[in-house]
Amino acid sequence: MRAALLSIVLLVLASGPAGAQVDLAGEWSPRVYNTHVDIGDYTGIPLNEAGRLRAEAWHPDQVDLPENLCRPHPIDHGLRVSVSQLRITPEVDSDTRRAVGIRLHVAWQEPEQVIYVDGRPHPSVNAPHKWSGFSTGRWERNTLVYTTTHLKEAYLTRTGVPKSSQATVTTRVHRYGNLLTFVFNINDPAYLTRPYIRASSWVLDPNQVIPPFPCEITPDGTIVPAGKVPSFLPGRNDVLSEFATEYGIPLEAALGGEETLYPEYIKKMKTMKVAPRTTTEHYRRAQ
Amino acid sequence: MSPGRIAPVVAALSVQMTLHLAAQGAAPAALPGTARAAAPYDITGYWVSEVTEKWRYRMLVPDKNDYQQVPLNPEGRKLASAWDPARDQASGEACKSYGAAALLQVPGRLHITWQDDSTLRLDTDSGTQTRLFRFALPQGQGAPGESRGSGPALATATPSWQGQSAAMWGGGEPRDRRDGQGGPTQDSTGRLVVTQAQRMEPDYLKVVTTRMRPGYLQKNGVPYSADALLEEYFDTFSDPYTRNTWLVVTTVVTDPRYLIEPLIMHAHFKKLPDASGWDPTPCRADEPR
Repeated sequence: MRAALLSIVLLVLASGPAGAQVDLAGEWSPRVYNTHVDIGDYTGIPLNEAGRLRAEAWHPDQVDLPENLCRPHPIDHGLRVSVSQLRITPEVDSDTRRAVGIRLHVAWQEPEQVIYVDGRPHPSVNAPHKWSGFSTGRWERNTLVYTTTHLKEAYLTRTGVPKSSQATVTTRVHRYGNLLTFVFNINDPAYLTRPYIRASSWVLDPNQVIPPFPCEITPDGTIVPAGKVPSFLPGRNDVLSEFATEYGIPLEAALGGEETLYPEYIKKMKTMKVAPRTTTEHYRRAQ
Repeated sequence: MSPGRIAPVVAALSVQMTLHLAAQGAAPAALPGTARAAAPYDITGYWVSEVTEKWRYRMLVPDKNDYQQVPLNPEGRKLASAWDPARDQASGEACKSYGAAALLQVPGRLHITWQDDSTLRLDTDSGTQTRLFRFALPQGQGAPGESRGSGPALATATPSWQGQSAAMWGGGEPRDRRDGQGGPTQDSTGRLVVTQAQRMEPDYLKVVTTRMRPGYLQKNGVPYSADALLEEYFDTFSDPYTRNTWLVVTTVVTDPRYLIEPLIMHAHFKKLPDASGWDPTPCRADEPR
């Protein structure tokens, strides 16, 4: 009878998470597309009111402030927008020589992210936050699932939609032959009403060479007047509606929100006010 | 341990198992050895699009020539610039933007069921389309010479909007010996020997579709040709934050006639408890869905 019980216990244990299943190491060439490149384009983002207010205050000249010139993207965003050539290597403990995880290296500003799969805990909530945060993962069959915490306050788009330092990102990494897909699930209780899911893919490119990314910070006052932090006060963003107008989208829809993500919203948009279009060739700017 | 002490443990396990099976749905059990029995996860049920990416290309009909996310070649661009939705509607070609290569990009609901133990059926309310994902029949089943999902039968099938789709559970490649779990070995002649135990457990659905009628990758006439090859990878997961179940589809369209390189797209769906919100619509050339 003890043997039977032991069998049951072993059966249960055997169904637990397995070790490393798939070799993700290599050079991966991005097949990602830059989206949300226009001010006022918050489409598809389940923003809450605080997130929307914060986004509306963002001014494009902020990227030229000295402290922002060489700042890397937050890692989940950096993996998603160009230039995002990716190198994945095994992460080995320098003392024990044991594999403890994998390391991601991304082209733009050269951020590195280590994803530990050796069961270590996340640091204290009071530990410093970083652009790449702190990540631990596990294998679910052939899928690497990892959670990133301790991210610095940053953004979801390059046009100012914010992401708070409370955000955590759970990422699923699939290797489908020579195709690699990351599915990001971003949970930010400060600025989102619900988790925000988006995905990016890469293609294996063994001959890819990721060049160095030197970056020089110009002195304060070179581009933006010294001491000035460009921003819009609430209700004063005079370019906020341009994206909606130029694409013929109701302004409310362009500013995102959970309701806008679902098919039913298409019908609702037909009842909403749309500003007269000034052009139908806006897309040519980015093409 | 006495039988009296073991009985409650076995009973509890039995109840757990029953509850687990009930949660999976009340469908009749699949025959052993079939694709349905081998399914690594339950993909069936109702799902709704959650449009978090390419929103303005999907929730609206984009302007003519707005194809900045598609690697079109000059011939493809020429065709895209000739798009005329009124002409498509009038000529009975309104379903061109609901073909297999673009169908999952159209906002709407999916209903996925097992048509039989070797065929997954995917219905959409947008455009009222049906796709059939045929798995290879287990050895010894099917009529002599019958080929499902590949081979001569597929090559001669009449092209249709949804084409012919061959399905397989993906991820069952040989294990990497370096992970210490026992990978393939070599026999005395140096040939690689891979037993079933030395393969990884499949964990995603791969669908390869060909024989499609020429259609649109976007509502605004961005073309794909009859030569296009569609590869799709379906994965489901439970969201750790909301406990919702999600379906994520990575789509690769290869079209030597109109694309410079393969186009990769993603679509996300949230699982629904029932058919509520199911809203069948006909194909419409000038509407997002």
